Amino acid sequence: MKWITARRRHPLAGYVVVIIALAFFGVGYAFVAPNADRAQAQTVAAGSEEAPVDISNGKQIFVQSCASCHGLDGKGTENGPDLTGVGAAAVDFQVSTGRMPSMNPDVQMPRRDPVYTEQEILDLAAYVDQEFGGGPAIPEQAPGLAPQRSDFEDESEYKAAKEQYEAAYEQYIAGGDTEAGMKLYMTNCAHCHSWSGAGGALTDGRWAPEIHEATPREIYEAMITGPGAMPVFNDTTITEEEKQSLIKFVKDLQAEPDAGGVFSLDRIGQVAEGFIGWTVGMSLIVACAIWITAKQRAHD
Amino acid sequence: MSTTPAPKALRGLGNYIDDRFHLAKTGEKNLRKVFPNHWSFMLGEIALYSFIILLVTGVFLTLWFNPSMGHVVYDGSYERLRGVGMSEAYASTLHITFDVRGGLFIRQVHHWAALIFVASLVIHMLRVFFTGAFRKPREINWLIGVAIFTLAIVEGLFGYSLPDDLPSGMGVRIFQGVLLAIPVIGTYLMMFMFGGEFPGEAIIPRLYTLHILVIPGILLALIVAHFMILWHQKHTQYPGTGRTEKKVVGTPMYPAFAVKAGGFFFFTFAVIAGLAAFVQINPIHLFGPFTPTSITSGLQPDWYMGFLEGALRIFPNWFDFTIAGYAVPMGVLLPGLGGMGLLFGGLAAWPFIEAWITGDKRHHNVADRPRNAPTRTGIGAAGVTAYGLIWLAGSNDILSETFSISLYATTWFFRIAIILGPIIAFIVTKRICLGLQRRDREILEHGYESGTIQQLPSGEFIEVHKESSPDTVHVLQSKPPARIDIDSTDENGVEPPSGRGAKGRLRARLAHWYTKDNVSFEGVRPHSGHHLHHGATASEEESVKAH
Repeated sequence: MKWITARRRHPLAGYVVVIIALAFFGVGYAFVAPNADRAQAQTVAAGSEEAPVDISNGKQIFVQSCASCHGLDGKGTENGPDLTGVGAAAVDFQVSTGRMPSMNPDVQMPRRDPVYTEQEILDLAAYVDQEFGGGPAIPEQAPGLAPQRSDFEDESEYKAAKEQYEAAYEQYIAGGDTEAGMKLYMTNCAHCHSWSGAGGALTDGRWAPEIHEATPREIYEAMITGPGAMPVFNDTTITEEEKQSLIKFVKDLQAEPDAGGVFSLDRIGQVAEGFIGWTVGMSLIVACAIWITAKQRAHD
Repeated sequence: MSTTPAPKALRGLGNYIDDRFHLAKTGEKNLRKVFPNHWSFMLGEIALYSFIILLVTGVFLTLWFNPSMGHVVYDGSYERLRGVGMSEAYASTLHITFDVRGGLFIRQVHHWAALIFVASLVIHMLRVFFTGAFRKPREINWLIGVAIFTLAIVEGLFGYSLPDDLPSGMGVRIFQGVLLAIPVIGTYLMMFMFGGEFPGEAIIPRLYTLHILVIPGILLALIVAHFMILWHQKHTQYPGTGRTEKKVVGTPMYPAFAVKAGGFFFFTFAVIAGLAAFVQINPIHLFGPFTPTSITSGLQPDWYMGFLEGALRIFPNWFDFTIAGYAVPMGVLLPGLGGMGLLFGGLAAWPFIEAWITGDKRHHNVADRPRNAPTRTGIGAAGVTAYGLIWLAGSNDILSETFSISLYATTWFFRIAIILGPIIAFIVTKRICLGLQRRDREILEHGYESGTIQQLPSGEFIEVHKESSPDTVHVLQSKPPARIDIDSTDENGVEPPSGRGAKGRLRARLAHWYTKDNVSFEGVRPHSGHHLHHGATASEEESVKAH
């Protein structure tokens, strides 16, 4: 007879099972529960090391990947807009979010992994800025993409760069004022990107993208260049400090754990809550009504 | 019944009370009261139980909630919002969420219970509608039910508005907009309600009084009345052997029904508590406080207000006009108040409309099977479809984003579907009902298909039909007569006075429309169809030849 078979009908077996189950859930919860490390786990960006830009490399990239739509002279074609005066920030935003080079010029591009490295993007941005007339510069003070392991030869160098980047990120996010940022975001941004930054539907089949993965620098650049249907919020409309506050508000909110339960319903809110209320809540209760009635003896 | 006498102490207590209040007789009568058994008769109980949960958790929340729009700078334990200016209402909700032990859980229980409460009212009401349980003598209880439903929605809206977070403020803003849209008195009404311009300082304390005192008080009174009337009139039952208009078959109140209902309470509570424990609802601390300049996409009211939101979203502005410089925004007025009026007015009026059309003044204690009232069932399905579509339209931005559909396309889809959908639903549902009626008639005449195939001596294959159980026969035979003789003439060929005049003719036409397609069971004797006689025995073989 197996060991378990001999003991499973023991009077205390039930309690043992309950205790094991409780221990299992308790320990399991300790693993799953949000803690400071995980809440902070954010994709973040690299420190602004002053690297020399190589404009000729930028030109080469432009000719290879951009000129077919924007034209060799940057004046645009029927497939792509004029780049006169767009500036380095616009190039950095479009290319670092992977929206450019675009696969299909007729549709709104979603965010993708960038095709070029940070250095290549800087080269390209410098070329476009110099060749087609200057525009807003890259906001170096806001941290951009986090350093990638593949860009570094050895582990220690990568770790150092990452630490430096994270410190810069923390410092930037710590700098702003939540209340000012919240008011600016709720007044200017939330009606398209929604209160949680999850994005939303716009007119004419367009949409405002979600901004969870956007780095502080990309959010900053989007504000000063106004990509797509987005209006421009230049540094006179919303000052540099105000932009920092706004970005702090967005990033803090995104890093905030969901206190209300394991299932946050993607912070969609009431539509998801109503859906769960009906599909899970009501179905379970009605199923129970059916079950109780079916289990009832016929005449008692 | 148990024959062992009760313990002496208990008996003594019982006698003491009975000597003074003479409760034994009333108690015996009421404890033995019979309730018919069917799962669909327990849907209203879900509403009762979630209402009880709402009362209990609501009292808990009032212990800390501060219904004030006074401005404070937050200094509690929620770090992200420290130093942010907000109303005391919002700050105290943060306090409940983060500083009161179990506060967040109770808040989530309260919110989930509210969603379940209104949802259970809806399905309970649908059950009553589709089974015709609203008919005489229960019209008054139906009206009370409609009032409970209406108040529950308003109660939910006001409760949603109290924490003064972002969605609260947006909800109140829409509420204000709808008030403003009422011609002539709208602005006065709005200024009275808000005590000045939006948002002012008065609205939250006022909504609080309505939410925790006035409306729950009325709701409680209505629920008690609902139950007393139910108790007095007895519950309806579905047709079956031994069940008649005068005799209820079911389980006595005590012990069986009480145990069942009590168990069901705990299950309802468990589901609500489970949702509250695991699924985040209305995270006000993430939304942040409301300021009059805040506006966001991707936020909706709670589901029960969704149909009004949807109506506002898809209704065109083609009918707005201006009289002497005063704008009449029909695009807000019609969907905002017209939608509510149509829903609640239609629900309240239906029992009387149906009674007028059918001329049915009899008492009904046996519920209809939905298929046996195909026009009513079709109208109900049309109503459900219209409600469902307009409710979906309220989430058009979420649908558009989640499924990558153009927002304008959703608007046009809903504008067209809200007209076509109910018509299609009516026709389809009615046809299904009539099909089921035909099948019922078939089963009654021929018995049920046994699945056994037999070969006759002639080589022909037949499926053997077997006789249905007496209970099935009873249920099938309970179908009311197919047609109403409303336009019948007397022996001299004179139509009744009620059939004359425009109203009489309209009623006759409606009565004809209401019942014209019903399948008649008249003259159908159970198991008289010839299929049944294809039995294996020799005697039955002969009867086959006789056909």
